Amino acid sequence: MRAARRQIRILARDPVLLGLVVVIMASVAIFVLWPLLEVLFASLRIGGEWSTANYELIATRRLYRNALVNSLQVAATVGVVGTLLGYVMAFVLTRTNVPFKRPLHLAMMLPIISPPFVGAVSILFLFGFNGLVTRQLLDLQDFNIYGRGGVIFSQIFTFAPLAYLSLRGVLQSISPTLEDAAFNIGASKWQAFWRVTVPLSLPGVFSAFLVVFIESISDFGNPLVLAGATFPMLAPQAYLEITGSFNLGRGAMLATILLLPSMTAFAIQRYWVSRRQYVTVTGKPTSSTTKLVSPAAKWSLYGVVVAFAALVTAFYAVIVMGAFTRVWGFDYTPSLQHMRYVFSVGLNAVQDTVVIALLSTPISGVLGMLIAFLIVRRTFPGKAALEFTSILNYAVPGTVVGIGYILAFNSRPLLLTGTLAIIVLAFVFRYVPVGIQNGIAVLRQIDPSIEEAAQNLGADGVTTFRKVTLPLIAPAFFSGLVYAFVRAMTAISAAIFLVSADWNLMTVQILNQVGSGRLGVAAAFSVLTITIVIVAIGVISALISRWTRTTTATVRF
Amino acid sequence: MFRRATILLLLALGWATAQSLVVYTSVDEENATRILAAFADETGIDVQMVFLSSGPALSRIEAEANRPQADVWFGAPSENHILAKDRGLTQPYVSPHADALTNEFKDAEGYWHAIYTNPLAFGVRTDMLEERGATVPRSWAALTDPMYEGLIQMPSPQASGTAYAIVLTLRELMGEDEAFAYMREVHPNVQTYTQSGTAPSGSLGVGETVIAIQFSPGFLRLVDEGFPVEVVFPEEGVGYEVAAMSILDGASNLEEAQALVDWMTSQEGQTQLTESKTYFLPIRSDVSAGEGIPSLSEINLVRYDGAYAAENRTRLVDRWVEEVLGQ
Repeated sequence: MRAARRQIRILARDPVLLGLVVVIMASVAIFVLWPLLEVLFASLRIGGEWSTANYELIATRRLYRNALVNSLQVAATVGVVGTLLGYVMAFVLTRTNVPFKRPLHLAMMLPIISPPFVGAVSILFLFGFNGLVTRQLLDLQDFNIYGRGGVIFSQIFTFAPLAYLSLRGVLQSISPTLEDAAFNIGASKWQAFWRVTVPLSLPGVFSAFLVVFIESISDFGNPLVLAGATFPMLAPQAYLEITGSFNLGRGAMLATILLLPSMTAFAIQRYWVSRRQYVTVTGKPTSSTTKLVSPAAKWSLYGVVVAFAALVTAFYAVIVMGAFTRVWGFDYTPSLQHMRYVFSVGLNAVQDTVVIALLSTPISGVLGMLIAFLIVRRTFPGKAALEFTSILNYAVPGTVVGIGYILAFNSRPLLLTGTLAIIVLAFVFRYVPVGIQNGIAVLRQIDPSIEEAAQNLGADGVTTFRKVTLPLIAPAFFSGLVYAFVRAMTAISAAIFLVSADWNLMTVQILNQVGSGRLGVAAAFSVLTITIVIVAIGVISALISRWTRTTTATVRF
Repeated sequence: MFRRATILLLLALGWATAQSLVVYTSVDEENATRILAAFADETGIDVQMVFLSSGPALSRIEAEANRPQADVWFGAPSENHILAKDRGLTQPYVSPHADALTNEFKDAEGYWHAIYTNPLAFGVRTDMLEERGATVPRSWAALTDPMYEGLIQMPSPQASGTAYAIVLTLRELMGEDEAFAYMREVHPNVQTYTQSGTAPSGSLGVGETVIAIQFSPGFLRLVDEGFPVEVVFPEEGVGYEVAAMSILDGASNLEEAQALVDWMTSQEGQTQLTESKTYFLPIRSDVSAGEGIPSLSEINLVRYDGAYAAENRTRLVDRWVEEVLGQ
């Protein structure tokens, strides 16, 4: 208590900092915590009365029970298989000397920067009832992709690259000298792998699993297209309850249930796995190849990676072809009609999406760095709570965020539904956690004495941040920007609840086109989205290299 | 010089307002433009269109009741026109062609006339059925045949009004309990329940499904574009939607408004539906919807109570979720 009072007194001496802390805490409370509480309340109310009747439906309605079981099974399967695949891909591409690493890495990135439904639409194009592979090549009469298999296939394709990306950094940071040390004291390859490499990468493996698990359980794009008539799942059911049956209470109940497994996984990751983090930074350059695998094992793992990359390439080739084909599966004449549609009827959505992404990206980037800076460098009461809440949305399924936003901001004083603001805010607070975590990681590696030196020379808090800290964290800042931009361009699970006639998104257009069976137009929208994202990443990377060149120059003096 | 220009301008303006008919249209923009352009061509009457979907159109007409800004409300389901009549927003006028229309397609007192109708239908990929040696289903009852396992797409009543119309049709034909028993029986033959009421025809075009159920325009388009698709109106009967038009009370261009009603209910006007490729079904049985497509007299239309449908929607959809989807 006394410590808190002292902290407040110190804070009061720096009014800018105080103001910043208050504003950030208030906005995190309003835009992260409140919507979540609203979801919980809505699920517990029926016609203004407190009631658990919505939850009793889980017991009585077989549909909901099946949906719950199916969603958990799929998320667990996709989590395990996706993480495993991601591990193999990361291991091969970071720790072994194999050819074509760069193109393989880029192929893995494609699903990450794609709008939802790309996987599902490609699967229909290739393996559907009238798919290129199943019907035209193999001449299967009754191949049925709909159901559990189709959803799992499509989600692994979509989410395994996420596991790859997060494990890549982990495996890169493990020094092979530790494995060498194990070999020197007589360990076999398996022993070295199980006793050294696995324990070192375990926290990373678990957080990769968490990412994939949450993405899978909140994903409704793939299930909506591929689950079929007899395989109900939770996230699409929550969406249908709200948009189809206008039953907010039930939708909120399903969303709350969606929240439980993800929050459990999140808690385990934060408070159990993160304690088992090992730091192996030695300061010595680590050579990147490993002696862990025999050539035979290496090439068979490489085969897995090449096969996955080939699948990715095939999927995207099909999407591009589908976008320029008259009617896939019936009339393969090349045609620009889908693109023409996108640039006439769909042009508004394209503009809206770009405006929204361009607005939310810098806000989210700056906010992420600010919060990271406050958490690492300043002390103030409620810091731990701020850290937890601000990255909470990382573990909250998008469906829940979207439902929370319509519940929280559909009445005065914050009447935001139907506006540009609500979509931008949802994106900012939903995608800021990655920026915060990047920022925290980088800031912890920068010696605070550099900042103290600036303050000794008379710079105030803002100047120190702007002139000293910001240049040092620029790379983390830009990677946060890339993430925020990519997600803003490709998000759907939260955004679907927030779009309006005035502000629409390309991803929602893709959903509508897929929903109306116009796969060609959906493919055309997807191609355009991917193009915009790739161009934007190119621009941001160009900025990074310019910025880091100038900053290294300024820091060097 | 300046004064003469002003007078000319005023005259021109006066002439334009006198001649142009103001239409609030709830038919989609593309099709309304085609139909009304044809009307303007044939009659020389200038038409100004304002696009409003049925809900906003009705509230706007109500708000402007004291000083109507439009002459005709064109499109929107006939139930909405009954509502407008009950609220005294429209005026009666009996078209000389009213006799050619059956009772579903006009108000007895002339407050509204139908423009077109869209019945529910099956769209069938004949080539794909033939390949697997299956026959074209001609009735609702036929759909339960195991040879159609996993071949049918229909919209989900949870998400689509079209699907709700299917539920209501079956309920009208069989009685409620029987209808749900029937839908349970068809369930194994359903490949997927789509979100949108127009998705099944899309899937039919790309061959993702073999039998699709929805309102007929999507299927008529496929037939017209040369797909091997047959449109089947099941023999037991099908529900339908009717788009209607009314002349607003206090319309300033009454003659032109009446001309539009006359033209739209005439053979020429109805033929225009087919000629402009709207894929709406004409309401006159003497006008063909196109080659190979049954005319209205061959379709067994099933009427259901709109008020009952609105009141029982949550209950029936819940029952569908519980008994059909969740079985």
